[in-house]
Amino acid sequence: MEKSIENIWKEGFLKSDALVAPKINNLYNQKSIHIIDKFKRMFKINLIAIVAFSFVFLIVSFFVGIPITGAIFFITLSVLVLINKKLLNDLEKIDMGVSSYKYLKAFNQWIKKQVSINEKMSRFLYPIIFISMILGFWYKDAEGMPLGKRLVNEVLKGFPDIYLIYGIPLIGIVIALLILVLLAFFGGRIYKWDLNIVYGRVFKKLEELMTDIESLRS
Amino acid sequence: MSTDFYKTSILPFAGIIIKLCRAYTNSQQDFEDYYQEVCLQIWRSKDNFREESQWSTWVYRISLNVCLTLLKKKKNNVQHFVSDSVTAEETEDNYAFSNESLNLLYDAIRKLSEIDRAIIMLYLEEKSQKEIAEIIGTNPNNIGVRVKRIKNRLKKILDGKIN
Repeated sequence: MEKSIENIWKEGFLKSDALVAPKINNLYNQKSIHIIDKFKRMFKINLIAIVAFSFVFLIVSFFVGIPITGAIFFITLSVLVLINKKLLNDLEKIDMGVSSYKYLKAFNQWIKKQVSINEKMSRFLYPIIFISMILGFWYKDAEGMPLGKRLVNEVLKGFPDIYLIYGIPLIGIVIALLILVLLAFFGGRIYKWDLNIVYGRVFKKLEELMTDIESLRS
Repeated sequence: MSTDFYKTSILPFAGIIIKLCRAYTNSQQDFEDYYQEVCLQIWRSKDNFREESQWSTWVYRISLNVCLTLLKKKKNNVQHFVSDSVTAEETEDNYAFSNESLNLLYDAIRKLSEIDRAIIMLYLEEKSQKEIAEIIGTNPNNIGVRVKRIKNRLKKILDGKIN
C-alpha cells in the first residue's frame, strides 16, 4: 500500500462530488426505521389492541353468560396495559445525544427491564386467564343451574364413588392445578420464545456492541 | 421538519453524516434511508441539545447512535441490524465515490466491527483521543491502542492479506 489511510481519507474527500447530500423529501412524514421507534410503534399498537380486545370481550362475555371470565380478563389485561404504558414512557426518555455507551446501556437496560417485567407477568397472566375461563364456564347458567354443578351431577351418574372436595371432583381439581402449574412454569418461557423470534438478533447485536465498548472501558 | 432547520442546522454538517452513514451501509438505497433517519432523529432530539458540546460533536453522537442501532428491512423482509454479517460479496455500493482508493478504504472499514468503525471514522475526522472516548463513552487511554490495531487491520485488508 502506497498511501496512508489518513491520506486516502483526506484526498478522497477533496473532490466536491464526494459529499453530496441525498435529496430528502417529506422527511417528517416518513416512517422511521429506527429500532426505538419501531418498539414504540409496536408497543402502542399492541396496547391499543389489548385494550380494544379486553373491552369487546367484556361486553361479549355478558351476552354469552360468562361475565366472570370477561371481568377477570378486563382487569388483568388493564393492569398489563398500564404497566406496559409506563414502560413505554421510559423508552421515550432515552436520549440519543449522549455517548454511545450511555445510549446503548440505557436502551439495553430498558429492553432487559421490559422483558423481565413481562416475563414475570406472563407467569401469572396465562394461569389467570385459565382460571377465569374455568370460573366463567363453571358459573355459566345452564337451565337454572351453574354449568359446573350440572357437569358434576352428570359425572356422578357415571362414577358415583368419585371423591369430591367442596362438591368438585378431586380428579378435576388435580388436572386444573396441573395445567395451572404448567402455565405458570411455561408462561415466561412462551413470552421469551415469542420475543426471541422477533428480536433475537437485535438483542444479540446489542450484547455484542455493549461487550465491545465495555472491553474498551476496562 | 422545517426546511429552515434542515438547511441551517443539518446541511452544514451533512458531510459528517454522509461519511458515517456510508460506513454502516452497503448500498445507495440503505445509505439514503440511513441519512434520512439520522436527520429525522437529529430534529426529534434537538431539544435535548444542552450546548455542553459543539453542535457538530452532538450531530456526530446522534448519527453514530442511530447508525449503531438502526433496523433495516432487507430484501427478504427479515429484520437485521444493517451491518450484521456484511460480506464483500454483499457489498453493492463499491463505487459510491469517484475516488477509487476511498471506495476501497470504505470497503475495508465496512469489514470492521461496529465500534471499530466508529473509532476509525472519528480518528480520520481528526478527533482527539479524548473526544473519541467522550463520544463513544469509553476510556481515552485505550483508544490509542485500539486505533493502532484498527489501522493495522485496515492496512492488511487493503493489502489483500486478510478478508
